Amino acid sequence: MRLSLALAAFSCAAFSCAVAGITGCGSSAPAASATVQLTMYTSVTQNTVTAVLAGFAKRYPDVKVGVFRATTGQLNARIAADEHSGGLRADLIWGTDPLSMESYAGEHLLASWPLPGLSGVPAQDKAPYFWGTRELYLVIVAHKGLSPLPSSWGELTSAKYRGQVALPDPAAAGSAFAALGYFDAAPAFGMGYYRALKANGATQVSTIPEVVTDVAEGRYQLGITLDDEVRTAVAQGSPVVLDWPADGAIGLYSPIAETTTGRARNAAVSDLLRYVLSAGGQAAIAKTGWQPVLPGVPGPPRPPGATEVYPDWTALFGRQQQILRQYQAIFGP
Amino acid sequence: MRRAVAVAGVVTLIAALVAVPLAELARLAAAAGTGGIRQALDAPGAAAAIAHTVEVAVAVTVLAVASGTALALAVERRPPRARRPLRLLVAAPLVIPEFVLGFAWSQAYGPAGLSARLAGLTLPGLLGPAGVVAVLTVYGMPLAYLAVTAGLATRADPAAERAARAAGAGPWTTLRTTTLPLLRVPLLAAAALVFVLAAGSFAVPQVLGTPDGFAMLSTLVYTDLQQSAAFTSVAVLALVMVVLVLLAVAPLDVWLTRPGPAVRPEIPPVPPPGGAVVVTVVVWLYATFAAGIPLLTLVLTALTKGQGLAPVPANWTLANVAAGFAGGGVAALLRSLGLALAAALLAPALGAAVAALGRGRWRAPLATLVTVSFAIPGSALAVGLAVGYGRWLDGTAALIGLAYVAKFWVLGHRTAQAALDRLPPGLTRAARLCGAGPLTAARTVVFPPLSTAAGTAALLVFVFAFHELTMSTILYGPGSETFAVVIMNSEDLGGTGTTAALALVLTLPPLLAAVPLLRHRWWSS
Repeated sequence: MRLSLALAAFSCAAFSCAVAGITGCGSSAPAASATVQLTMYTSVTQNTVTAVLAGFAKRYPDVKVGVFRATTGQLNARIAADEHSGGLRADLIWGTDPLSMESYAGEHLLASWPLPGLSGVPAQDKAPYFWGTRELYLVIVAHKGLSPLPSSWGELTSAKYRGQVALPDPAAAGSAFAALGYFDAAPAFGMGYYRALKANGATQVSTIPEVVTDVAEGRYQLGITLDDEVRTAVAQGSPVVLDWPADGAIGLYSPIAETTTGRARNAAVSDLLRYVLSAGGQAAIAKTGWQPVLPGVPGPPRPPGATEVYPDWTALFGRQQQILRQYQAIFGP
Repeated sequence: MRRAVAVAGVVTLIAALVAVPLAELARLAAAAGTGGIRQALDAPGAAAAIAHTVEVAVAVTVLAVASGTALALAVERRPPRARRPLRLLVAAPLVIPEFVLGFAWSQAYGPAGLSARLAGLTLPGLLGPAGVVAVLTVYGMPLAYLAVTAGLATRADPAAERAARAAGAGPWTTLRTTTLPLLRVPLLAAAALVFVLAAGSFAVPQVLGTPDGFAMLSTLVYTDLQQSAAFTSVAVLALVMVVLVLLAVAPLDVWLTRPGPAVRPEIPPVPPPGGAVVVTVVVWLYATFAAGIPLLTLVLTALTKGQGLAPVPANWTLANVAAGFAGGGVAALLRSLGLALAAALLAPALGAAVAALGRGRWRAPLATLVTVSFAIPGSALAVGLAVGYGRWLDGTAALIGLAYVAKFWVLGHRTAQAALDRLPPGLTRAARLCGAGPLTAARTVVFPPLSTAAGTAALLVFVFAFHELTMSTILYGPGSETFAVVIMNSEDLGGTGTTAALALVLTLPPLLAAVPLLRHRWWSS
C-alpha cells in the first residue's frame, strides 16, 4: 500500500517536472516587445529557406521567423492538425506548387495577396491569394550510360523502359502533384498516360529527391523529378544525367502567401513577402539552384533549345482531390 | 482509502494520455456518421491494409518470440563470460532506429545495394511483405530475448529443472514440461509487446512495403493524413487498429492477472547440452547479417560523396557529416536527448505505479489501458493529442514529450509488472514483522528486483523515444524539431549520405547509454 502511494506520488511529481522541463527545452522564447515573431510553413528545400531567411534577417533584424519545413504531404497533415486544434498557426505558407496552395485558399486559410502593387513578377505566376517565388521544371532523370535516352514524356511508356521508371508520389510531393495536373489535362496524355506507365511497370516512390537517389543507385534507370535535383546530383558526381524532354519540361511556380492568421502581423508578413520577391531574395533563391521568377535575376543554366509546358492552373483549381483519387486508383495501395 | 486515491490519480493520468486522444479520434469518426465510417472502411486499400496488418503482426510475433526464446535459452544458461558478448550481439538491432534499420537493410541487401554491388546478390522479396516481416522480426526479437532473459532470471527456477532432469527427463522434455511453462508470463508479455510493435510499425512498411504497393494500416493512416480531407479515415483506421490490438492483447492481460510463482534462483542453472561453439557461431552470423552489414553499409553511405557512387576511398568525404549539422541539427540532437531522458525517467515510474496499484480486479483494465496507448498508430495518437491539447501545446516539445510517455508507458509497465509478480506474496509483510520499517522493507525487498526492471525499462524507453519519428513529424513545430525529424528532412532533400551520417549519430547515444548497464551487475551477471 505504502509502496503504491509512494510510486504514485513520485510518478505525478516526475511527470510535472519533466513536462515543465521539456516545455522549456523546445519552445521558442517569448518575443521581446520590439520583435515580431512570424511562423512560416514551407515545403521548399531547407537550403533555399535558410538562404532567403538569412538575407531577410540582415535587413529586418526585428522580425524573427520560425520555420516548419516538411514535404507537401506532411505540411497538409500539419495544417489539418492545426485546424482541428484551434486554427492555423502559420503566418505564411511557402509551398512548392499552386495546386496545393489553391487547396489551402479553398479552405479559407489564405488571405488575399497583400502586395498587389509589387512589380516584376510575371502574370502567369500570380493568383489572387499567392504569387510565385521561383520556377521549377519537371524533367526526366536517367542513369548515366542508359542508351537510348527517352526524348519525350510519352517514351517513358515504351516497352524498352519496362520496369525502369520511378515516379514521385503526388500525395507527398507538390511538384509531382503539378505534373499529375498537367498530364491529366493535356489532350495527348490524360489519366491514360499513368495507366500506360503502370502497365509498363513504372513504380511510385515517395519524394522528388528519392527518384534521383533511386536512379543514381541503379534501382531504376529513369524517373520524373525536378531539374535542380538532377543538377545537384551531377555536381556531386552521381551517375545520373538530366534528360530534358523535347516536348517540354513541365513548369510550375513555387507560391508564397499570407495566411488569414498572418493578417494580424500584416506589416511584418509583407516585409518578408517583399524581400522574397526582391532582387536580393531572388538572388538567394538562384544561389541554391532554382530559377527565380524575376526576369532580371539570372538562374541556373539550361540545355540549349529547352522548352517548357505549363498546366492550366485555373482549369485545375477545384479538381485537386478528384484527380488525386483518379491517380491513386492506378498507383494507390 | 489512500489506495483508492492513488488509483484515481493513476487512472486520471491514463485518461489524460490515452482516453483523451482516443476520445478525440472517436469524436472525429463519429462526426462523419455511419456513412462516413463505412466510406472509410470501404476506401480502396482499407480492407487489404487491415488484413496485412494482422498477418504481419502475427507472423512477426511468432517468429520474434520463438527465435528470441530459443536464443535466450541457448545463450543465457552459459557462464557469464561466454554469454555477455552474445547477449550484446543479439540485442544489437534494438539500438538501430526502426526506420534506419529498414533503410540500412534496403541499402545493404536491396536492388543496387551493397551486396548486389559486391557479390551480385539481393534478398528476394525484401521490398514487400517478406522484407517487412524479416526486418520487423529482427527489430522485435531483442524485446522477446530480453523479456525471456528476465524471466529466466526470475521465474525459471533451476531447481525445478534439476529436479526434472534428476527424475529422468531429457533436455527437450525438461524444456517442454518445466522451463517453458515457468516462462509463461514473460513469454506472453513478450508476445504482447512484439505484437503491438509490429501492428503499429510505420517506418519499416513505409520503407520496404510501399515500393511494392504493400500497405499496412499505419502506412494507410499516414497516407490519408497527408491528404487533409481524410481526417475521418485517419480516425476510423486508427480505431480499427486499436480494436485489433485490443482483441489480441486483452485476453493476454486477463491471463497475466494470474501470475505464477516467482523465485529468486539461488543455484546455478542447468547448462545447455553441448553445442557452445554452434551457438556462438549462429549468434555471430545472425548479428553480422542483421545488424553488422547494414551498419557497415550505413557507414559507407555516410562516407560516400554522392548517390550511386561506389563506396571506395576515392569517393569518401566527411562533408556529409558537416552538411547534416549545418542547420539546426545540434539543437535538435540535444532536444531529442532531453526528451528521451525525460521519457526514460517517467515511463518506468508511471509503469511501476500502474503495476503496483493495479492489483486484483484493477490489474487487467489498467494494463490494457496502458497497452492501448502503445497500440495506437503513432500518427493517429499524435493527431489525437494534437487535437486534444493542441490549443495549449501545439508545436511544442512538451506535446512531443507527452506523446512519448503515452506511447512508451507500456514498456515501463510490462517490465515492472513482471518484476513485481516475482515477489512472493507477504514478503514485505514478513519484513515488517521482522522489525523492518516501511522504507527498509521496500528498499530491501521490493526495490532490488524493481530496480532491475526499471533499468531495463528506462533503457528501452530511451531508445524508443530517441528514435521516434512518426509522432514527432506530426507534432513538431518551429523550434521543436527532434533529431529524427531532421534526419527525415535530410532524406527528403535527397541527401542519402547526409541521412546516413545523421542516422549513425542517432544510433550512437543508445549505445553509450547501454555502456553503464553493461557494467551493471544485472547485465553482466
